[in-house]
Amino acid sequence: MLFRRTDLPLDRDPSGRFLPWLIALMVYLAALALVSAMTMGKMVERWDTGLSGTFTVQVPPPEIGAPGAQEAAIDRVIELLLDTKAVRSAEVLEPDEIAALLEPWLGAGATYGELPLPALISVGIDPAAAPDYQDLARRLAEAAPGTVLDDHQSWLGQLLDLARAIELVAALIVILVGASAIAMVIFATRMGLAIHGRVIELLHLIGAQDAYVAREFEIHALRLALRGGVVGLLFAIATVILVARLFDRLDSVLLPELTLSPIEWAALAMLPLAIAVVAMLTARFTVLGNLGRMP
Amino acid sequence: MIRFEDVALRYGAGPEILRQVSFHLEPGSFHFLAGSSGAGKSSLLKLMYLAQRPTSGRAHLFGRDVTTLTRGETALMRRRIGVVFQDFRLLDHLTALENVALPLKVSGQRENKVQQHVAELLAWVGLADHIHAYPPTLSGGQQQRVAIARAVVGRPSLLLADEPTGNVDDRIAVRLLYLFEELNKLGTTIVIATHNESLVSRFSYPVLSLSGGEVRMRTAPAAASAGAGGTDRGSAGQGSAGQGSAA
Repeated sequence: MLFRRTDLPLDRDPSGRFLPWLIALMVYLAALALVSAMTMGKMVERWDTGLSGTFTVQVPPPEIGAPGAQEAAIDRVIELLLDTKAVRSAEVLEPDEIAALLEPWLGAGATYGELPLPALISVGIDPAAAPDYQDLARRLAEAAPGTVLDDHQSWLGQLLDLARAIELVAALIVILVGASAIAMVIFATRMGLAIHGRVIELLHLIGAQDAYVAREFEIHALRLALRGGVVGLLFAIATVILVARLFDRLDSVLLPELTLSPIEWAALAMLPLAIAVVAMLTARFTVLGNLGRMP
Repeated sequence: MIRFEDVALRYGAGPEILRQVSFHLEPGSFHFLAGSSGAGKSSLLKLMYLAQRPTSGRAHLFGRDVTTLTRGETALMRRRIGVVFQDFRLLDHLTALENVALPLKVSGQRENKVQQHVAELLAWVGLADHIHAYPPTLSGGQQQRVAIARAVVGRPSLLLADEPTGNVDDRIAVRLLYLFEELNKLGTTIVIATHNESLVSRFSYPVLSLSGGEVRMRTAPAAASAGAGGTDRGSAGQGSAGQGSAA
């Protein structure tokens, strides 16, 4: 109990009031950025997994006055596909399956009997031995003019680019948050050194090493940052839960799922700890650097 | 213990506060440092407790040239020096007990070993009922005694006191001087800066006399039995006044 109290009354400094809130804001932003990156990454992975090992072939609708032409074209296309190495299956989508795909755009009550829709063929392949898509597309077009092969890579690639951009922005935010926290702690520590100059001088005069003085500051910074970090994380978790409920209400297949795995929760929980350690080390080196320059 | 050779001190571009100061204090000696207000007593003490470095000349402490000490070595050397500051320099947010224990905490001693020792020391200086009091609630004299307890708690090899009896009555002043004598008997070198001539004459120890920035050694004055303390422990030959010499 005798040695419990800190020798420097740092708790009474202005930094004790503003630093935890600033750290809370920083951790809040960093946590949301991390959640965004993790969610986006999972969404891309989900789509990528769902689409790998398949591609789609569109056979154009028949021209007016050519009944039966589309069926014949579909037969030629399926025959060519099944003759192709690495193709495991080729199934024509039923009209109600096509209707389900178009429902988000045309509504549930639309009827397609009069619409000249292309036939869609879902093709399953061996993912380890993907065919030469360019060559296959050329041969399909020869067999049935107007047939289009879609291997999903074009828009999946764009989606991956978007996910990577979001991850990059998230990483940038985390780095900026870290840098801001370091700058704030340096400022607060220098202010503390100036405010408590006489006490620090006394500690030196009774034999305190610089490391002893630094320890006072680093413990103070650790406490403040931890306090602010936990508050920021709690606000971030509340925000994520709120947004997740909004997504659930919208019930759209295009929205990502806002659910985190235990490892991802652990990564989020590490944020306040990480920022507290950064604050502690920053305070230590700031004090040692400043005192080291003294005569 | 302390050897100064032609030491001079000035603050920045100001006038020379001390000049050509040379003296040698043996380990275990007891000296008063006398001089009028502004003579440089506090500055000389600052040189001795390493708060200042000489502008010129050589100052040796514990056999080391103080100008060659690193920051780490300076800190370790300061742990062997107890200082009673003129303005006490107590930490207002710590209790009397915590203030006195501070040098022990700084030097890394364990809490359970120091609590009783510190409380006993505070009782000895007459503050048994104030060990949990904060400095702002104590009188000037009580604060001074806390400062003295803090200076001696670590059994320093060298004790430097700047007007340590300036805020207490004669009875307490004599009692505190007895405390310093006891420490001196245990081997601590003592230097007490004071302008209280009656106290100097009451205790027959040699005097470093500062005047005009220069120092002279005066031999121990004949002891007097003046003072409110009423005892005569300050008579000639009392204590263990060591040897000293001034150039």
